[in-house]
Amino acid sequence: MVETLTVKKLTGKILICLAALAVLMCICALVGTQSISLSKVMQGPGQTDPNIDYQIFVGVRLPRLILAALVGAALACAGVTLQAILRNPLADPYILGISSGAGLGAIIAVIAGLSWTFLGGSPLTVCAFLGALATVWLVWCVGTIAGKHRVTSLLLAGVVVNAFFSAVIMFLTSIAKSSQIRWTVFWLMGNITEKPWHILCVSAICILAGIIGLFAISHRLNLLTFGDAEARGLGVDTKKTTLLAFTFAAFITAVAVSLSGLIGFVGLIIPHTVRLLFGPDHRQLIPLSAIIGSAFLVVADTLARTIFGQEQLPVGVITAIAGGPFFLILLAKYSRKVSWLK
Amino acid sequence: MSNIVNVKNLTFGYNTQPILKDLAFELPRARFMAIAGPNGAGKTTLLNLLCALLRPKAGSIEIDKKNIKSYPARKLAQKIAVVRQEFVPVFDFTVTEVVSMARSPYLGTFGFEGKTDRQFVQEALKLTDTAQFASRPLAELSGGERQRVFIARALAQNTPILLLDEPTTFLDLKHQVDIFDLLKQLQLEKNKTIIAITHDINLTIQYADIALLLQGPPSCDYQYGGTTDVFSTEQIERVFKAKTAEVSIGGKNFYLPLGKFTGDNQHITRNLTEPQQ
Repeated sequence: MVETLTVKKLTGKILICLAALAVLMCICALVGTQSISLSKVMQGPGQTDPNIDYQIFVGVRLPRLILAALVGAALACAGVTLQAILRNPLADPYILGISSGAGLGAIIAVIAGLSWTFLGGSPLTVCAFLGALATVWLVWCVGTIAGKHRVTSLLLAGVVVNAFFSAVIMFLTSIAKSSQIRWTVFWLMGNITEKPWHILCVSAICILAGIIGLFAISHRLNLLTFGDAEARGLGVDTKKTTLLAFTFAAFITAVAVSLSGLIGFVGLIIPHTVRLLFGPDHRQLIPLSAIIGSAFLVVADTLARTIFGQEQLPVGVITAIAGGPFFLILLAKYSRKVSWLK
Repeated sequence: MSNIVNVKNLTFGYNTQPILKDLAFELPRARFMAIAGPNGAGKTTLLNLLCALLRPKAGSIEIDKKNIKSYPARKLAQKIAVVRQEFVPVFDFTVTEVVSMARSPYLGTFGFEGKTDRQFVQEALKLTDTAQFASRPLAELSGGERQRVFIARALAQNTPILLLDEPTTFLDLKHQVDIFDLLKQLQLEKNKTIIAITHDINLTIQYADIALLLQGPPSCDYQYGGTTDVFSTEQIERVFKAKTAEVSIGGKNFYLPLGKFTGDNQHITRNLTEPQQ
């Protein structure tokens, strides 16, 4: 009988991966510079004298873990999607200018010294989010106006906008006060910190909604990787599907970036790892990348906050150190493949 | 029997210069039609018009008595399957995964194949003799095998019409014949209407019932009719600017292209009538 993906098989895989993620998160929550015991955490907040273990677990580690998991899931799924719609295995969530747009928003917020809050979000978060969305919108408009070779012009528009905004960021950094710089630099490197629960809830809803949206169009993403003409021949409205995929991916990336800054390489290496393990079918690539991306960032963040004791590293440093070599191996692999074809 | 494809006064050009001008033909069901013509004559353009990838500048195309414009993408994909010139996809999909994608126009919201879908896929794999490498990635197959996989995908799409763009370009002789045998078998046994672009006049004469010979700009002339009526030494010389020798095998005339260095062969009954320039 023909081996195809069924709902049953996929549900099984998702449940196994989710269980593994839950176990991993529990382990990571117990690891840290301050050692805590699970049994003491289970005793609850404590009536008279406060239960320190519980406070660390619920107040500090859990929110941070959940944020890492959310950001990891969002970046991995956005990476899968952009690789599919650009038909480019080297694409990542930042390729179309999101990173520089968010960075610009963030640095403007810092330099302007804004101090209001919006739905509990700091000015930096809100401005980064708006900057990210405005930039991808700009890239999309330029890319689609530019001509019929949509993929190439989108990529070009993304590269140009990225370069331009990076220049503006450098300019703003050079005129900013040094006290303002430190925060921005940490943010640009990608940094996960404790966030209040209501922000976590809002972002969780946004990111999960985006991932479900991507999952709903995932079988059409399969067809899109064969190119515009092929996909249309199989009944896919390519314009609509590309726009939907792009919107969902940009939205969840913008949410992730505004919470945690520019964490690199997750959106590149996780899609490839999952593809190597489970094959290129996007119907399982989307959900499994989300879970494995979460796991990866949870582990990376645990390393970031423990590896140097009290001194915390930005998590982006860890992912880049792990991701850089991986990216090179990948590049070598793909370029060799191309030379075989010649 | 009604016509499955009905093209009326079709005109199309990428700029002001038309490539196809006032093209009209009616194709009955379950026929094998070949589209021939020199490079740049608009063969692939016509194919893209027939699957609604391009919109006509003037005139109309009717598929199954309905204007092609009135079909939503999914409905049209249930009528027409397209096999384009072979290519390797970016990601390593297996043969089964590629063929399963053919069921996309029939799937629900989340796009999972059901039992009937799997049956269609399996039958298509069997018919095209591709079941043996069903679980291998497409990139590992040879050109001929890959072409058969894409034909399998077109079959699993379960459409009355198959459109093919030069299905045998990169294949050796045996595989060329195999592909045309398979297409003919599909026409005769499954009542498929086959429309294939081909550069090979002799394969066309062997397998196709009907031929459309496009001349391309500036004249945009065309001939449409039974294969044997459309092709002749004069016609080929006029359209392709190539001299040919007519060879008769089993009551059918075939055409051998002659170059500057072709020797005079006793066994070839060369057509000596020099065409007027």
